Amino acid sequence: MTPDTGTASDCSLVPDLLPAQAEGWDSLRAAAREALARQELPTKRDEDWKYCDLAELRRAAFRPAAPASVDIRDRILPEARGTRLVFVNGRFDPHHSCTSALPQGLRLLPLHAASEAATRLGSLLKPAESDFFANLNTAAFADGAYVFVPKSVKAEAPLHLLFITVGEDGGGGEGIPSTQPRILVEVERNASAELIEEYAGSSPAFTNVAVEILVHEGAELRHERIQREAPEAIHISNLRAEVAKDGRYHSRTVSFGAKLSRQTPQVRLTGPGAEASLDGLALLNGDQVSDTHSVLDHTQPHGSSRQLHKCIVDDQAHAIFNGRIFVRHGAQQTDAQQQCRTLLLSDSARVDAKPQLEIDADDVKCAHGAAVGALDPEELFYLQSRGLNAAAARNLLTYGFASDLLAHIPVASLRRSLRQQVMARTNAADLVETP
Amino acid sequence: MLSIRNLTAEVNGKEVLRGINLEVKAGEVHAIMGPNGSGKSTLGKVIAGHPAYMVTGGEIRYEGKDLFELEADARARAGIFLGFQHPIEVPGVSNAQFLRLAYNKQAEANGREELDPLEFDDYIREKIAVVGMRPEFLDRSLNEGFSGGEKKRNEILQMAVLMPKLAILDELDSGLDVDALRIVGEAVNGMKSKDRAILLVTHYQRLLDHIPAERIHVLSGGRIVKTGGPELALEIEKNGYDWINAEVGA
Repeated sequence: MTPDTGTASDCSLVPDLLPAQAEGWDSLRAAAREALARQELPTKRDEDWKYCDLAELRRAAFRPAAPASVDIRDRILPEARGTRLVFVNGRFDPHHSCTSALPQGLRLLPLHAASEAATRLGSLLKPAESDFFANLNTAAFADGAYVFVPKSVKAEAPLHLLFITVGEDGGGGEGIPSTQPRILVEVERNASAELIEEYAGSSPAFTNVAVEILVHEGAELRHERIQREAPEAIHISNLRAEVAKDGRYHSRTVSFGAKLSRQTPQVRLTGPGAEASLDGLALLNGDQVSDTHSVLDHTQPHGSSRQLHKCIVDDQAHAIFNGRIFVRHGAQQTDAQQQCRTLLLSDSARVDAKPQLEIDADDVKCAHGAAVGALDPEELFYLQSRGLNAAAARNLLTYGFASDLLAHIPVASLRRSLRQQVMARTNAADLVETP
Repeated sequence: MLSIRNLTAEVNGKEVLRGINLEVKAGEVHAIMGPNGSGKSTLGKVIAGHPAYMVTGGEIRYEGKDLFELEADARARAGIFLGFQHPIEVPGVSNAQFLRLAYNKQAEANGREELDPLEFDDYIREKIAVVGMRPEFLDRSLNEGFSGGEKKRNEILQMAVLMPKLAILDELDSGLDVDALRIVGEAVNGMKSKDRAILLVTHYQRLLDHIPAERIHVLSGGRIVKTGGPELALEIEKNGYDWINAEVGA
């Protein structure tokens, strides 16, 4: 392994990925580039990155992914038939996208076509305050999605953003194809929507995502985030959300793919009575590493947050959970509950779980905890006493542990497809029928 | 059907059963009674094959075969059922899925036809009516968030689905109110048959008002210290367990 001492200047990532010509975001990009010039690719000496081996990013040459043709029939969610944007190798794919069923005034657009997004973009991921990868995305994104739900509009159909990385037409050439998807979501007063943000792939790739979400007063966004990239992929995601008075932001991140995946969701409750949930499921085997560094920031009174993060770790895989909850001075009557539960399925599987509460208010209800373990012998015996052999009992409990977190996904076809994937991964396919 | 001789067993290095002898024939209902800590629940778990309980001596024969040669799951498929005192919650697996899976594992092992979800749906609807459960319990995760009484009903539902040859019901009455106990008792009585033996493990006589047992065994200090007819349970109800201990010098 090469010594872990990279800087932005010797990193091959930045110059290769910058877009050739300028478009609407010049000043924002310039600020990100400026910030990047002072930043380094994180190393294991950075406390926040100590379990992530980014050596490959330093070693390998990366370049924007070339175009490809893809068959997405298996990935279409019938509920989002007319509310879908598809990006293939980072490029908007108008042929596979369909926005024929949008409610009046709802905007679901590729970012390059959304000039109105300019004033909002970068308002949460400000270059001066963002980390290396968020700034890399700002400097280099080629396209992405803009979602705008106008005042009081309740979107019935889920909005599906599908990002696919596949083998490039003509082989693609040297280096690892990379994409920098950018997403901006704004849900106006008393509006509501269900957003599905999905990454899928079948070829090695570096995906560096940045998401900004504004949930206004009384609005609600339910957000399913699905990462099922190719096993050789590297997936890094920064998300910032702000939730105004009485707004609700509920997200669930399901992470199956990539050899290294990193999720950094940060949610700020900026108005009184706001509520958020930030659930996660990581299902890991082989040498996979999945790292979640989350922040839930309560700045106003009467807010509530829920976080349930589950990991199932097999083989030599490694799960990391670092969940911080801030309750700021004056955020009285905050109700924050955080749980991280990990199932270790092999002796060499590993988890580092660190739930953290930092409370500066005195009238709050907060609890957190982390549980790590193997399957419970009493649970195994219960299933065996009903005739399931030891392997079936183990697999069924493992399936249940994961499936439980998917139970409340409101989009039936997505729930089914994720459960099928969990069934396959936990060898439970012959134990439970397709839900 | 069940023949236990000089059975001794320990858990966590502590001897809990100290020489149990018991004969249960097909068609019979027996009750194991005894004060807390006497080893009643342990006996049920040892028969069912709980791996944490180590048999240190003696034998258990079930239908003439050495039970110790079978793992817990094989015992279940051979027709032994343990109704748990504290049934386990399994989130993420629906009750209906689990019941069908258990049914099919047994069907497969015993050369009966497995049921697909639709066939099983018909089969299970009859069964839930017998234990007075509402159909929505089938779609909920196995025992998750069930009240104590609902869990016990669910155990008896499992028994009704699996139709075991030997049912061991551990503290069936705990968590059940009077009405639920009556319904569950009737369900168990309805499953009595000349081919099936039932072993009730209970602290209180009141269960036996609903499910009469012909033989009562009093367990104390890991041994059966007294065996009698139904009148023995009534005597315990009236006088507690101390007089028996005094009588046998335990």
